Amino acid sequence: MQGFGVKIGLAAGLLAAGFGATPAMAEKVKFEFWYGLSGDLGERVQDACKKFNDSQANFEIVCTSQNGYPETVQNAIAAYRAKKHPAVVQVFDGGTLDLMLSGAFVPAKKLMEDNGYKIDWSNYFPGIANYYATAKGELNSFPFNSSTAMFYYNVDAFTKAGIQGAPETWEDVEAAARKLKAAGYACPFGFSFDSWATVEQFSAIHNQPIATKNNGYDGLDAELTLNKTKLVDHLTFFKKMTDEGLFVVKTKQLGMDVVPAFTSETCQMIQSSIADHGTIGKTIKQGAKWDVTMLPVWKGTARQNSMVGGASLWVLNNRPEAEYKGAAAFLNFIAQPDMVEWWSTVTGYIPVTKTGFEAMKAKGFYDQPAFKGREKAIASLTFTPTSANTRGIRLGGFPQIRKEISDAMEGIFFGKLTVQAGLDQAVERGNVILRRFEKTYAGKVLN
Amino acid sequence: MIERTPILNAVTYFIMILGLILILGPFWMIFTASTQSLQEVTAVPFNMTPGGDFLKNVHAAWDRANLGPALLNSLITSLLVMVGKIALAALSAFAIVYFKSPLRHVFFWMVFLTLMLPLEVRVIPTYNIASDVFQPVRWIIQTITGIELSLQWNLLNSYSGLVLPLIATATGTFLYRQFYMTLPDELAEAAKMDGARPLRFFIDILLPLSRTNMLALATIMFVYAWNQYLWPKLMTTDASYQTAMVAMRALVPSVNALPEWNVSMAGALIIMLPPLVVVAVLQRWFVRGLVSTEK
Amino acid sequence: MNKRAVFKSWWLPVLFALPQLLLILFFFYWPAISVFNWAFTLEPAFGGAGERLFVGFDNFRDVFADSEYWRSVSLSLFFAFTATGLSMFIAFILAICVDRQLKGSSLFRFFYIWPYAIAAPAVGLAFRFIFAPESGLIAVVNTWSPDLWNPAKYGSHAMILVIICFAWKWIGYNFIFMTAGLQSIPRSLLEASSMDGSGPVRRALDIQIPLLAPTLFFLLVLNLTESFVGPDTYGIVDLTTEGGPNKATDVMVYRIVSEAFRGLNYSGAAAQSLVLIGLIMVFTFIQFRFVERRVHYK
Repeated sequence: MQGFGVKIGLAAGLLAAGFGATPAMAEKVKFEFWYGLSGDLGERVQDACKKFNDSQANFEIVCTSQNGYPETVQNAIAAYRAKKHPAVVQVFDGGTLDLMLSGAFVPAKKLMEDNGYKIDWSNYFPGIANYYATAKGELNSFPFNSSTAMFYYNVDAFTKAGIQGAPETWEDVEAAARKLKAAGYACPFGFSFDSWATVEQFSAIHNQPIATKNNGYDGLDAELTLNKTKLVDHLTFFKKMTDEGLFVVKTKQLGMDVVPAFTSETCQMIQSSIADHGTIGKTIKQGAKWDVTMLPVWKGTARQNSMVGGASLWVLNNRPEAEYKGAAAFLNFIAQPDMVEWWSTVTGYIPVTKTGFEAMKAKGFYDQPAFKGREKAIASLTFTPTSANTRGIRLGGFPQIRKEISDAMEGIFFGKLTVQAGLDQAVERGNVILRRFEKTYAGKVLN
Repeated sequence: MIERTPILNAVTYFIMILGLILILGPFWMIFTASTQSLQEVTAVPFNMTPGGDFLKNVHAAWDRANLGPALLNSLITSLLVMVGKIALAALSAFAIVYFKSPLRHVFFWMVFLTLMLPLEVRVIPTYNIASDVFQPVRWIIQTITGIELSLQWNLLNSYSGLVLPLIATATGTFLYRQFYMTLPDELAEAAKMDGARPLRFFIDILLPLSRTNMLALATIMFVYAWNQYLWPKLMTTDASYQTAMVAMRALVPSVNALPEWNVSMAGALIIMLPPLVVVAVLQRWFVRGLVSTEK
Repeated sequence: MNKRAVFKSWWLPVLFALPQLLLILFFFYWPAISVFNWAFTLEPAFGGAGERLFVGFDNFRDVFADSEYWRSVSLSLFFAFTATGLSMFIAFILAICVDRQLKGSSLFRFFYIWPYAIAAPAVGLAFRFIFAPESGLIAVVNTWSPDLWNPAKYGSHAMILVIICFAWKWIGYNFIFMTAGLQSIPRSLLEASSMDGSGPVRRALDIQIPLLAPTLFFLLVLNLTESFVGPDTYGIVDLTTEGGPNKATDVMVYRIVSEAFRGLNYSGAAAQSLVLIGLIMVFTFIQFRFVERRVHYK
């Protein structure tokens, strides 16, 4: 038996020698950064990397798009298991807890302290920092591209249909939709099965929970509750509007997502991330008038702050020490005020620090026609102090739960499921995921 | 003589032509779509005549899916699988057929069992192994001797990772075994009388004789390897190792949400061409390879 | 195995067989064993072997208690039987026609094999276009009445789409084996029967199908296995419907892979893999038992 093992080891060792190739050592310390943004926003990340590489001579960051947020997490996990992971990885809001409990990262605070950078952590908007921080308020990862969901509408179409001002309530949206339809617009309001805008942000601004235990912040034994909140009425409204042809489903599978539906002026109202503000401005027909506003609330609801979306940058452990110096330098670089401003300008992401925002405001950034309206995202995020329902969502396996929610919406809007049955289905399947997560990480404490 | 009434013949031709439309129709649609502009390709009903934008679409698809490196990766992988499989199959079948060894039955059954589980079914554990090949070796050595080795070999994002798991099945081995069995016993006896060593016999006699066999196996292995999707998709997170089949995913229209099917089809056409050429041009060998490996 | 082995050496055959032996040990046997390891534990996404929890049969219980799993099983069975039936039926008709050896038959035969050369994902992409609701061949029906055909919206349409993809691709393969089988039927038999006055349908039923039975049975089992768990099914689903809408085409292979790599539920996926392996063993057993017997009839 012993001989057998040794023989295999020897032969395999020979094979390995034949196949393994050592990369040539470069002068600069190279390290990898994987991100999920793609398309226009992805190219802006490449610009940021290039700026960093041009700014100094010691490090070289190699940035690779993984074409999608969930894919980035999957690939990073695969690579981590194979010990071929990048030093820095962009993880979207929904993947936060999966990373937090992984034990596979270097906390942001520790990294910066170890490498001698002084960061004023209190400078981050609390609404943003809360999502990524420990219970003690220490950041695990760096808020990078932060956004929130907003409501976009086509001013030209509104004028033509005789609608004044921005819709503030869903009642306004319905009235506007009817007028738009009467004016001959086939798709007054377009929406997709994206849980983030329709479910999560709706719940936040209406102060509704997604799950028990303060949306999971107080323990891994949280259970989904979104089938028992105002969300049921909200989706019932969506369903009714869809049946009347006032709301129209626009998804990638159907050939067109909401943002292109808006920029091609197919749909006149959509809800989408503030991050798309830049893309919309660039791709909509020149001269077309459009505007952005906060997500509507139901009449008589006291509006709460909306939740932060987007992603943060995590630094994974078990990389050579030199790479951490580079990673810290990069994270410090993109947190500099001029970089924050540049990033916010070319995308639609909000500045993540208070000073960044103030500086941009003082410069008159938000008064420029191309960027007008973006300050409303900050207003939406900071509308009220965060409540237990608007602080964030801390649920394990949340990317899969989102998938269950959008599957259920497919069933509701395409199939024969009632709204209640659909949400019950999502909750039931989502809770299975939560229980498995709880069991897998049994004994781990949320800190 | 079977009757050849005109009516029956007409019916036969009619069915065969229907079949031809069924088979070639999709090919024709892929081709025409790939030559049309966005306006033409989205026209309803679809216009079955080619347009003039073929090169433009190919260019767009080439950029979008990064086809240059992807096609090269596919070619390298397929050739390696092809050569590797033939070499392994010829050698191990030789060992099974021509040697009297107590181990040969054990070996035969070990190889035979691999026919049962396609890679897709064991893809999850195989992935685990590929990320750390020596995991079993380390485990065995550690349980026996207590020594912890730091031997590491990771196959993810490498050509060996794309190739080796695909070679680890028995298809070719049985083809070769079958072939050796059809050769007269006298061949080996005579070679032995002349004092030929086993290796000589293998190189000078068996290999030249198996040329037809080799070609048949080569064609099916090439097509098999080129058309692999799931495995390369899972194990290449690094875009520089992506194969053409995986790159094709980038061609599903969604990028700008324009239904650019013309670009998709142009890309699909390029990616499916190499195996199609093999099957069309080397059809005789391909069919022979298929029929003899499966039976 | 009745060939006379002529060479005597104990180390040479081992040496010759070693490369293959090592490969199948590493990439076949060890993974097949290690799947047990995951199936009975809870594997965290980022790994961490030391903290693995042994959970007994919990993963299996979870799998079997999940109504989605059973839905996936029945979807897979439906897919497998329909796609197999359709593909084999068309291939058989074409093979019979070509076997009449009329002028130009070989040209038809040349083309009928083509679909097998096309990779499943490519077939998926092409048919996704051909059957797209907004453009392509079928879109015209939606101009008569909106959403008469929309695989992105209706589960049944999505299922039809993946079945068509699979059936089309496998026509080529089935055709190859059926023509080979038909060719081995003695001409004289057909001629004699024809002289007795039986028509082509009669001859197909009385002579060709019975004599082709071993081939047909072999193809049946192979098609079923391939469509049930094969790579082509995965490739087609991934490029057309991605298991949707609302999991209407979430067949078993697709489900396992997405559970593991998207759902990060390695343990649940491993348990499902084991169940599948068990099923395939049953399939293979049936194949050997019955096909072998049939072959002996000849």
